[in-house]
This record gives sequence, C-alpha cells and structure tokens, in this order.
Amino acid sequence: MTRTDYIVVILALCALPWLYIKYWSTNDTATNVIISTYDNKKIILPLSENKTINVKGPMGENIIEINNNKARFINSPCPNKICIHSGWLEDTNDVAACLPNGVSISIGNRHQEFDAINF
Amino acid sequence: MNLTLTTTREDHLIAWLTALAVTIHVLESTLPTPLPGIKPGLANIITVVVLVRYGIKTAIWVSLLRVLIGSIVLGTFLSPTFMLSLTGATASVVVLVVLSQLNTILPFISFGAVSYAVFAACAHMAGQFFMAYLLFLPHPAMFKMLPLFMTAAVLAGILTGIIAGTLLNRIQTQDVSSTNNTSNTG
Repeated sequence: MTRTDYIVVILALCALPWLYIKYWSTNDTATNVIISTYDNKKIILPLSENKTINVKGPMGENIIEINNNKARFINSPCPNKICIHSGWLEDTNDVAACLPNGVSISIGNRHQEFDAINF
Repeated sequence: MNLTLTTTREDHLIAWLTALAVTIHVLESTLPTPLPGIKPGLANIITVVVLVRYGIKTAIWVSLLRVLIGSIVLGTFLSPTFMLSLTGATASVVVLVVLSQLNTILPFISFGAVSYAVFAACAHMAGQFFMAYLLFLPHPAMFKMLPLFMTAAVLAGILTGIIAGTLLNRIQTQDVSSTNNTSNTG
C-alpha cells in the first residue's frame, strides 16, 4: 500500500460516520396529509388541523380523521376494512389505502408521485 | 463467403482477462448476500489489476464486457439487475479514468491498488444506488439505506484492493524472476 492508499482508506472510513449522521439523524416530521381519490384527485391538508373528511369513491364514502398530527381511516364501505385496520399514520411517508374504493392517504411533507415500482 | 477477422494481441489479452473476470463474477453470484446489492465485488480485483498492469483502456473493456457477458451467462441480461450492474460498472469506470489521469498528471499522488479499489467500489455502489432510486424506489426512505450500502462498499473496496495489491506484487516478483531465468539461461 502506498501512502496515498492509507490516506484514501482513512478518508473513506471517516466519511462513513458522516453518512450515518446525515441520513439517520434527520427527522423530517410530516406536515401534510395527502389524500388520493378514485378520480385521481389529490387533496392536501395540514396535519396540524384536527378534522374529519368524507371522501367519495365508487363504493361509497370513506371517512378519514386527522387528529393530533396523525391520520387514519375511521369508516369505509369496503368488505375487508384493511384501510381501517392500518390504524394511525404517524411516521413520515406512512401510507394507508382502501383499494376497493380507490382512496389512499399518506402523510409527508411533499408531494410524492410513486411509492414503489416493481417488475 | 469467407469472413476473416484479424485480431490483435491486445484483443486476445482483453478476451483472456474478461474470461477471468466473468468467471469470478459468476462464481461470486452463488454466494449468499445479506442484502440485495451488497456483495464483495471480487471481479473488481481483476479490473484493478488490469488497470495497474495494462492501463485504463484495457480496464474499461474488461470491466464493461464482464458486466455484459456475466449477465448473459447468469440470465439477467437487460433485467433490472443488469441495469444496476451496468450503471455501477460505468460509474466505477468513470472514476477510475479520473484517478488514472490524475496519477499520470500528478505523479506524486501515486494512487495504489487499494485507492483504485475503494474508489471503484464506492462509485459502483453510488451509481447502482441512485439508479435503483430513480428506477425502482423513488422514495425518500431509500436514503436510510445509503450508509449501510456505502459501509459495505468501503469494506469490500479495502478487501479487494488488498487482494489486488498482493496479486500485483506476486506478478511483479514473478516477472523479475522469469527475466532473471531467461538471462541466466541465455
């Protein structure tokens, strides 16, 4: 190993803790609730405002509650109620969806087009 | 119709070295990995050895051909895995070009095998990570994985760099002893 090699290795090892600090210590708190509806509309609401929203879909109405910086489905016309069982969304980028009724909610601080793409 | 293909000595050299790299690449793919995207990158050893011994041009050929042929052998050609692999290889080749140019322009820096391997591994990881982010998981939570991936890349780079350095030393001593032998007999 040359002298430069030692310097490069030491620099690389020093850069790693910086990466951990940069990406693991940020807590970007969610400020918005993003509700996507069946007809591709996006409703963005502040997470700080406590309220209950009714969203229409092909099967009926979903009722979404925003309370204490958290959001959840409280009623849904779908058969399995998976959206309701998802519970409170409290961490940034949490998502809950009611697929039969085409309504999904997520909390975050900016608009996100995709959640994941798979092949 | 008779088609003749004239090959140079350099073509043969690239072919042999690529075959070696592909073999390592394929063997390595059978090793279990803790996380998709993390592997020792042992084929990197060949790229670094080739870069030091035969220059950057041969190294570029060997590195990119290795990804292409390796993917055909493994059956991942044009699949997402291949895209990530190709992006990573391209990124590491670009970094190696810069480093080898720096080495010729400023000889006092003298990057060795370990520097090349560490930089190449990090560039490979960064390249495939950002491609994965752009293509498959454009989600901010993805960046939480970056430190883990880069740690693996740095460790793998140091490991492959040390192996490449040892290999280069052995080749050099062998060269010296073989030239001594010929001078003795001649």
